[in-house]
Amino acid sequence: MTRPAVDRLFAIVERELSTVVRTRAFLVLGGGFAAIVVALAWSGGSAGYTPLVLDLLTPVEVLVPALAFAFGYRSVLGDAERGELDLIRSYPVSRATYVGGVYLGRAAALLIAVLGPLLAVAAFVVLSPGTKTSVIASHSGMDSPVLYLRFLFLTAVFALVAMGAAVAVSAAARSTRAGLAVAVAFGVALILGFDAGVVAGLSGGLLSAETIEPLLALSPNSAYRGLVLDTALSGVAGGVPASPLVNALGLVAWLLGSLALATLTVWSATWS
Amino acid sequence: MGDETSDTARTTAGATTDEQPPVLDVRDLGHSFGEVDVFSGVDFSVAPGTVTAIVGLNGSGKTTLLRTVLGLLTPDSGDVSLAEAAAERRVGYLPQSPAFRSQFTVRETLSFYAAMLDGEVDVSAILERVGLGAVADRRVGALSGGMVRLLGIGQAILGGPPVVVLDEPTGDLDPRMTEYVFDVVDDLAADGMAVLLATHDLSGAADADQVLLLDRGSVAALGSPADLRAETDTETFRQAFLALTGGEAAADDTVRRPVRVGSTTGGER
Repeated sequence: MTRPAVDRLFAIVERELSTVVRTRAFLVLGGGFAAIVVALAWSGGSAGYTPLVLDLLTPVEVLVPALAFAFGYRSVLGDAERGELDLIRSYPVSRATYVGGVYLGRAAALLIAVLGPLLAVAAFVVLSPGTKTSVIASHSGMDSPVLYLRFLFLTAVFALVAMGAAVAVSAAARSTRAGLAVAVAFGVALILGFDAGVVAGLSGGLLSAETIEPLLALSPNSAYRGLVLDTALSGVAGGVPASPLVNALGLVAWLLGSLALATLTVWSATWS
Repeated sequence: MGDETSDTARTTAGATTDEQPPVLDVRDLGHSFGEVDVFSGVDFSVAPGTVTAIVGLNGSGKTTLLRTVLGLLTPDSGDVSLAEAAAERRVGYLPQSPAFRSQFTVRETLSFYAAMLDGEVDVSAILERVGLGAVADRRVGALSGGMVRLLGIGQAILGGPPVVVLDEPTGDLDPRMTEYVFDVVDDLAADGMAVLLATHDLSGAADADQVLLLDRGSVAALGSPADLRAETDTETFRQAFLALTGGEAAADDTVRRPVRVGSTTGGER
């Protein structure tokens, strides 16, 4: 990528980040997410990092994709509807630069909104008087901030994947209504539908135990959950059906696939 | 006219007055949406330093023609050629209903688009040129419709493209703002830009160097406003327009024939 292309990329990143920061609805959503995280951590009793991860895992798995789609589903679509996408095409900007800039800007905003509260509630554990004696007894290990850092890292990756999907929906949709419908359907499918389908397949005999591992890696939610259970909660979690490598590959495939889809669909005709 | 119209009579705005080669050349252009032919067989050229106005009734295909010329729509037939130019940006564009992110100021908006170019751009100078210097720090969400259009024109001329395409730059504007926008357009042409605009404002179109009248997807007339008046034997450009689109002179069958007239004698208003 040439120097001017990098400058253009960062100009787009800055524009997206500023848009999120200056939009009241996004601030309210981010504040809502922070309030939920704080409330959960507070109600959990701050007994340690592992209990904190246990308290937060399922809500984060549900709320991060929701927040990502809220932040990202109109990112490209809004430009298209305002006609700004046509304007941008009249400049020497490639599709990859535009999509990359939009993605990075929105993802940066999402990471701040997600990781900020998660980092803040870690202070509950640090500052809690009972923390020093709080150890979850397990043959696999003991409570540690490292486990929480792993959870934070995996959550950041999960947020990046979710934002990639949101930008892909935004680029592929041709109207706000279509984009919203696809985003909602997509979110419900990831959060509920995929796992329910696997359970139904297993109980109905359509799926065997051997097929679970790759199947779970196909869903970013399942892959994220598997990775957290395997790396941050291994001391308390039971056997994890999918290997970390397969789950990680699943997340990478989702991210790259989403960005490729967004790049290919954002505009098709070539400038004269 | 009719059969007497020859190829040599086809107007190339500016080329006939300044002997300059066209910067935009459109040949046999056609586009359809599915089974619906929007326009076909469109030929025209635009030379530097001239204003070409595309006029026609609603649904005549003006916006689709502009978007096809721009490459935003893929033509079903024909070619659009842009002359090689030193400018980094070959075509500037103002859409029919320009809109920008309301959270940003006028200066921030223009600065963003300027950042899409390699070279340095004096954003303040552009804002002054389109008359927005006094509201440079106002948020886009607080601008009037006319100011948003001026911001769109400012964006369209960033980087000094040789061709500027403006889709209804005066739509929904009051007469004073309309006059101002056409003054800006004249100023752009005076600086050597080729301006191609679609408009319903016949007084503004009457001041163009060349007028292309689209009627039901075909070029009904192409020439200077004076030539169109002469061709239809009318006194005003408005009357010529009505005659050519089946209005006041609809009884005359000849008015629906394509009219291609020669000389470009400048505009009128």
